[in-house]
Amino acid sequence: MAAKTRVSLLLGGGVSVALAAVALWVPVEPPVPPAWQPPAQAAERTERDLPALGLLWGKVRGWSRVGPGWTVLWQPIHGMWLVSAWVPDDPGPIRWRIDAAPWLPGVRLSRDAAEALAGRSAAVAQPRERLGRRDWQVGETRLLGALPAGGEIPAAAPLRRPLLQAVLVGLLLAGAVSRHLVPGVPSPGWRRAAVGVVLLLRATLPELPALAPMTFQPGVRPWVAELAFGTAAVLLLGALMFAAQRFPATVGSPPVGWLPVALAAGTVAGRLEPAAWLVGAAGLELRLPVLVGVAVLLGWLAGLAGNGLRELLRFSAFARVVGLSLLAVAGVALGGAWTGVTLAVVAAAAVERGWGTWMGAGGVWGWVFGNVWALARWESALWTALAFLLLGCAVVAIAFLVRMREGVAEATPSVP
Amino acid sequence: MFRVRYVLQVLLAAAALIAAVALVRDRGVPGEVQAGALARAALVRLGYEPLGEPTATFEGDQELAWALERARPGPAGVGLARGGGGALRWRVVFPGGGEAQITVDGVVWSLRRPVPSAPGPDLFPSLARAQVEAAVARAVPDPSAWQLVRAQSWREGGHIWQRGWFMGGAGDLPSGWRRELELEMVGSTVVSWRRTVHPLGTDLGVVTGRMGELRLLSRPALLGLGILVIGVFVAAAEAVAYRESTAIARGLAYGLVTATAGSFASDTLVAAPIQGVVVAVVVALLPVWTDLPRPRLRFGPVAGVALAAVALAGRAFILGAGGWTPVTPPVPGDVGPIRLLADSWAPALAEEPLLRGALPALAAPVVGWWGAALLAAPVGVLLHPLPTVPLAASLALELVLQVGLAVVARYAGVGGAVLARGTCEALVRRGSFPVGPDWDRVALLGVLLGTVLLLWPPRRE
Repeated sequence: MAAKTRVSLLLGGGVSVALAAVALWVPVEPPVPPAWQPPAQAAERTERDLPALGLLWGKVRGWSRVGPGWTVLWQPIHGMWLVSAWVPDDPGPIRWRIDAAPWLPGVRLSRDAAEALAGRSAAVAQPRERLGRRDWQVGETRLLGALPAGGEIPAAAPLRRPLLQAVLVGLLLAGAVSRHLVPGVPSPGWRRAAVGVVLLLRATLPELPALAPMTFQPGVRPWVAELAFGTAAVLLLGALMFAAQRFPATVGSPPVGWLPVALAAGTVAGRLEPAAWLVGAAGLELRLPVLVGVAVLLGWLAGLAGNGLRELLRFSAFARVVGLSLLAVAGVALGGAWTGVTLAVVAAAAVERGWGTWMGAGGVWGWVFGNVWALARWESALWTALAFLLLGCAVVAIAFLVRMREGVAEATPSVP
Repeated sequence: MFRVRYVLQVLLAAAALIAAVALVRDRGVPGEVQAGALARAALVRLGYEPLGEPTATFEGDQELAWALERARPGPAGVGLARGGGGALRWRVVFPGGGEAQITVDGVVWSLRRPVPSAPGPDLFPSLARAQVEAAVARAVPDPSAWQLVRAQSWREGGHIWQRGWFMGGAGDLPSGWRRELELEMVGSTVVSWRRTVHPLGTDLGVVTGRMGELRLLSRPALLGLGILVIGVFVAAAEAVAYRESTAIARGLAYGLVTATAGSFASDTLVAAPIQGVVVAVVVALLPVWTDLPRPRLRFGPVAGVALAAVALAGRAFILGAGGWTPVTPPVPGDVGPIRLLADSWAPALAEEPLLRGALPALAAPVVGWWGAALLAAPVGVLLHPLPTVPLAASLALELVLQVGLAVVARYAGVGGAVLARGTCEALVRRGSFPVGPDWDRVALLGVLLGTVLLLWPPRRE
């Protein structure tokens, strides 16, 4: 290895270490309270602590992070009702709710559940059969058996940033068109990576419906809901795989000097403005492959959008500086949970074309890591986050070494 | 050889026409003419002679009809939906006053006559109950099965009004179902009654549950079409950038026709103008996609007749094999020849260019034409299936039709697939509309077009 290369490697390594230190130890407080227990533990606590509701709960079908707690969803196999519960991280009261199919006349709650709902007065609940309803009389309080029963459950704040999302979608389209109009040498590595992670995500598909609890509806059997989710996921993944072949990333060696910057920026963005759905992913059994798949695909998309942004701003150097700065500032100031993705797009557009996808993936990789690290504070998730980070570093190191060896082999004259 | 081919085409046209006529003959909702006469007779029995020729409008309760069929399998369930279950009715309105609902099998379901100027002596509450109970015999054939559960009286317009609510148990309906009747009197004259049916929750639940499941399953199909539309717009941008030859005028005309058809149809995938814009872009791009098969329009309607026969036979097969599929066709929101035309042709015009044109054109370089066509099939399957038990039977039947359309598209191009789908839909949906030759002609439009194309003297090549 040439001395100059060694020096630049050492320098890059030093900068990386410094940036990593900044990204990891800079004290930031995420706006969303972190989770101290996985959703499975929250579900166990609910099944243990809630009074029997007088109906079959079925299996845990999904969960989502809402404020300082988990909303967990159960549905029996016939699908006629849904039981959902919001479980706070602290030992506070669990809020629950039953939603039933509209054609069910009403489900008899258990005496315990009726008394709990009516306020635990001294009176004993008396059943009252009525036409199409099964009520309880608890002292002076009448509890109507018509469902939905239970209280209101807190809902997650919407992630929508319509203007920013529209800009990102427009950049994706611009990127797709520009990769056809201004073609570069396609990178076989990124093509293979896209196919690989799509297959990886398809393998984890049976676990993924848990991240979309809104798919499960009262009156719809859970296998049908899972089929609908699976079909949508297969279509989406197929489209991404197809797009990765048709609009391939341009070949280029990993920008080892710049990647730590993207990684660090992504990590800080993830810690500052985390996206709650990624914490849900950290609650899966197969969380590592899911996180890897999401990061690679989002990284490739960030590279595509960055390509579009670069081509749109190509007409003048001044416009390029202003455009990139504006999008970065808008992403940080207004992006919310989309900050990390927006910064990854800016990073992909800021470097030369062959490095764009690497930079996008680096930014997203850091953002995913920062998210999990900021919000998923139970031990197994933190170990997974660390493994995820190390895996990313290892892939970059291997790609760089392979590239360097290829360069050395090309430079060495072959023996006749 | 040339003459032999033409003779074969003539034979094919004749066979398709005969098959199509056989498929539409005697299909449709009966009872329109009888409903007027029955309503008039019922009103006369109440002491009111209606004036003028009535107008009859078809209306139905989709879920109720299918729940009755599900609860009582076979012809008995169909009979209940058309008769004692009151799911399919004609609303008959007389221009001079008086209105009735008559089921398609001729049961008077509800009746309302104008309030008479001299309705007879007022019934005071102490006497009213017996009179109201006696009046139920005018409304139902089995009065002994009905019990008065609640009565109400009030004074209005100088007369005492009475209203009674009756419950009639299950009667002919499946066990667990309930019949109710509401009857009104002014003075001592019955002025109206109305019957209702309360289904058993689980019977209704099987049907509404399946419908809900199919609605949920259609969302991924819409997502698939959305992804496809993104691909179409990217391809359009490339075509503009590379200055490729496109069929802009043809696209605009096609988009206009599609948007118009969509605006008259009862149900569209998205708003009709958006559908029009998307298919306009697709049709304008068709010359760019040179790998697509050449259109041979004349064979489309013939294939549509075959597909309609397969669809109807498939439903009969599901019923014969012990499954359940609705015999009563979907009840249209509004009944009119334009609605039949639009409901049949709007899905064909909007979906076929996407599923049989754009998707194969975009995906063929990666998975080949057949791979892309088979990719389109599951998307099409999820868009419009009927509820069945088991649910997979409906999906399998739709898959057969989608694969059939892919074969048509391979042989007759996108245009052929559009004609095949429109013809097939028109023949299958014919059953939802009233019987009569006018409706038959509307349903046979596609087949007639196909016949003309097949009989058109061909050019010698």
